[in-house]
Amino acid sequence: MGASPGFGEHPDQSRATRVLIVDDERMNRQLLAAGLRGGGYETAMAADGVEAWDALDRDPFGFDVILLDRRMPRMDGMELLVKVKADPRLADIPVVMQTAYASAEDVAAGVEAGVFYYLAKPLDRRLMLSVVAAAVEVRLRLNRLKGDLGRQATALTLLERGSFRFRTLAEANTLAVALAQVCPRSTMAVVGLSEIFTNAIEHGNLALSNQDKARLIAEGGWTKEIEARLDAPQFRDKMVSVEFERTEAEIRILVRDQGEGFNWRAHLDFDPARAFAAFGRGIAMARRLCFDALDYRDPGNEVVCVQRRGGEAAAPMVPPPDVAVIPAEAGRDSEDIRLARAMQSELLPQPELLARIRWSTGLAVTGFHESSSDLGGDLWGVDLLDEHRVALWLADFSGHGVTAALNVFRLHALISNLDDLRGRPGSFLGELNRRLEDVLPVGQYATMLYGILDVRARQFTYAAAAAPAPVKVALDDLGSLVGDGSGLPLGVAAGGAYGERKMAFLPGDLLFMASDALAESPDEGGTRIGGGGVVDLVRGTVAGGAINVDGVLAPFLATVRRPLHDDLTAICCLWPK
Amino acid sequence: MRYEIVDGPDGPTLMLRDQLTFADRDAFDAVIAKLLARHSKSVGVDLAGLDYMDSAGLGMLLTLRDRADRERADVKLLRPKGEVRELLVLACFDSLFPIQQG
Repeated sequence: MGASPGFGEHPDQSRATRVLIVDDERMNRQLLAAGLRGGGYETAMAADGVEAWDALDRDPFGFDVILLDRRMPRMDGMELLVKVKADPRLADIPVVMQTAYASAEDVAAGVEAGVFYYLAKPLDRRLMLSVVAAAVEVRLRLNRLKGDLGRQATALTLLERGSFRFRTLAEANTLAVALAQVCPRSTMAVVGLSEIFTNAIEHGNLALSNQDKARLIAEGGWTKEIEARLDAPQFRDKMVSVEFERTEAEIRILVRDQGEGFNWRAHLDFDPARAFAAFGRGIAMARRLCFDALDYRDPGNEVVCVQRRGGEAAAPMVPPPDVAVIPAEAGRDSEDIRLARAMQSELLPQPELLARIRWSTGLAVTGFHESSSDLGGDLWGVDLLDEHRVALWLADFSGHGVTAALNVFRLHALISNLDDLRGRPGSFLGELNRRLEDVLPVGQYATMLYGILDVRARQFTYAAAAAPAPVKVALDDLGSLVGDGSGLPLGVAAGGAYGERKMAFLPGDLLFMASDALAESPDEGGTRIGGGGVVDLVRGTVAGGAINVDGVLAPFLATVRRPLHDDLTAICCLWPK
Repeated sequence: MRYEIVDGPDGPTLMLRDQLTFADRDAFDAVIAKLLARHSKSVGVDLAGLDYMDSAGLGMLLTLRDRADRERADVKLLRPKGEVRELLVLACFDSLFPIQQG
């Protein structure tokens, strides 16, 4: 397996990872499929629970993840979920539920019934991909462990008492399998021990947070990061120690790491709020399903896992944790940034508008936005001026972080006030420049491309402020034309003037524009694709098939170094013949 | 970013090397202070050794220009090459700075 598999790479390599999309709205299905295909997944679609059940029943080993809408006619999401979890052939396929609204009770019921994760509608493409990647990863790990359980016969079954120490994930899994065989309910014990051992390494000794994990898995750098940390001087001597003890009544396994502990009280129960987080639910799962008791000791780097003989029924009640809920320790900053990112993405064009443009002008516009690890300053927009003209624009503020994000909101507000100039790209940028120059501090500026596609005049008229050049490619002969993005950045000099440039745009043409992160982000080897690489990407898409923004970017996203150091935004506009 | 300040008869010249990117903004701030502490009428920024500059680098040049302006000093850009030169052309920086090719 490569160092950083793409989202859709199926680790056993026998076939691509396949996602079953179940949603009663056609447009939703298509959007999800486009997003997943852009991430390298194969997709299949079903319009309700009945159709989905038919597909699953016909090919029970054909799907790796189910992306399930909650409300549907005939058979709804919960009904299908219950059927899937009751069928031994299908029970371990992770189910990701997508829902516009869910009460805490709904979420709790779903999690109890086996939902891997809840995604809130409208879906965030990047989050969806990271959740699907996480679901695949978790399922494979558990399958491997359960498989190992049958294969290792050891004298450990005779063990009364013992001490163990481990450092790596491989050692952790070996020990989990061995000790689970001694436990009354081995299959559940291996899942629970693996979870607790993994936590001890990743979150204890290696000091990685759940947010780090979700991000790294999404970006494909998780294994590498673990390996790097295991080798790092500050971590490489840290061990996890395990004390095993068997009595007549029970098996007790004490696990101690050398980390700083964590707020374990917040992780003991399924927290509906955390149903929307990719990780951090393993402890609640282990406590509820795998052990009769799971007792943490402060500060949280020590835990005793207990399985009693005779099973759950004979077990005395586990006393409830003695503390009211303490807020999770997720940093306020990251929460603020998450919120800002969500607000930023709400400024982007909605699918309804893109559908309306397609309907009125025949132009198929698709856009892509992925914000960088901290916040970036990108924004794109599109506007239906009349039945034959569409305005497209893409802006990128210099800098990162909260300043750039605030500038994005500022720009959005300014643009909303320039209605009368929307049909004139040069004047539009000139006025925007004047207004930004007033408010932006020195050293901050925006680059921007603003253009109008006119299907009656068969022309693209645009103005630019230091933006990457727009690229046009003809579907028939792959002839390409690179425009001119030069111009003073916005907000630098009050007198900046922006001329209008034109290029012919005919049926069968594809127009593409992107923020500079596309040309400038290095891949794993440190190489940037540059302006020429962007043209090649667009031509490659036209030659290859799926002609939309995800199709153009897919080869780039597969190799770029993560996390992105800058926001990446792109717009693709196709005029089908 | 690596740099060196060379004092000449017409004022100091900042020789930039390697890259000028977002990561260098604090260091560049300190460099601006050093340059302007010379109280010269003119400051040169020699870009011949600079292989790469990102959009934040452009912002740093604008900050230098503004701070120099307040001290009544001019900023000249010297000998941009390759990608750096292309970026300056893209952003029409020749209308903001005297640029000496070479």
